[in-house]
Amino acid sequence: MATYKFEVEGMRELFTKLKKAEDKSLGIAAQGLYEGAGIVADAVSNGVRGIQTESFKYAKGGTKRKPSPEEKAALMSAPRGVAKFRKKLGRVDTTVGFNGNGYVNVNFNHMKGTARTNYKAVNFKGKSTTASSTLKWIQYQGGSAKHGISADIGRGAQNQKPVGVIANSINSGTSFMEKQPFMRKAFSKSKTAAVAAIEEGIRKRIEELDLE
Amino acid sequence: MPEEYTSLVTALKALTQGEKSNVITLPMAENEWNTRPDAESYGTVALDFEVDALYGDNKKTVTSYSGSVDLFSRLKDGGGWVEEIVKTLTEYCEGAWSLNSHMYERENKIFHWEWAFEVEG
Repeated sequence: MATYKFEVEGMRELFTKLKKAEDKSLGIAAQGLYEGAGIVADAVSNGVRGIQTESFKYAKGGTKRKPSPEEKAALMSAPRGVAKFRKKLGRVDTTVGFNGNGYVNVNFNHMKGTARTNYKAVNFKGKSTTASSTLKWIQYQGGSAKHGISADIGRGAQNQKPVGVIANSINSGTSFMEKQPFMRKAFSKSKTAAVAAIEEGIRKRIEELDLE
Repeated sequence: MPEEYTSLVTALKALTQGEKSNVITLPMAENEWNTRPDAESYGTVALDFEVDALYGDNKKTVTSYSGSVDLFSRLKDGGGWVEEIVKTLTEYCEGAWSLNSHMYERENKIFHWEWAFEVEG
């Protein structure tokens, strides 16, 4: 059998450039994805705010209950957002949700609050904050009384509930918890906007893909 | 109510009249079946929210809704209900459904399946 040998000049350079393009394209895709994931994360945050609550009661005899204000406060104060990006085999993906390792200590404490709105996050010194790392209290105003709910962020000590379990039991419902699919709703409602943001994010950065 | 959803609920209700009628002893309520607390298996079906809509002539022409079917069972295999529900969803929702979660409530010793589906109305 005859063999034919082709010699093409510049193939090594071409492969180098294609490899460079692959590396850069994943970075560009990740940047676009981050913008889209942010939209989804915001939708989840809005979903948490919309969770209906009622005073805690044990669900007996096959009845179901709504989440307590403490459980909602736990979700509001819990670390959530966009997970670390995973790049593998030419694709990049991430997860939006609650920190799976986060635990909250849900206690109901009466305390004097100065909340003007229904919900107000304050730090250890009692000053308003939105930074989850310094968040200590969620104050909420129910009726004429003002209450404070502690929702400490920590590791799984006794009497602490994993945030993921609380979120899942509200989102999917249980045999005793009414279902409020806030996560599924947030994902469905924000999907179109998120995809558009990812596309736009990639499109505006694609010029950075300089192969020269 | 979307017609597809009504058909799905009717089909799920019809399951209680079939071979499993000896297990399911109570008639299905408006959107749930066999809610007796001591029952081996019971479930609910509900429309949860509107997903999207197409507009034409200044009005909604097609609306898609997201709903869910929940099965609670003390039996690990769901007492055969899992297969029945999957078959019904495939028939009435075609490919627009997925198993959203499958959990075990340790305190209540209950297995929970949750399917999410979409229907048009």
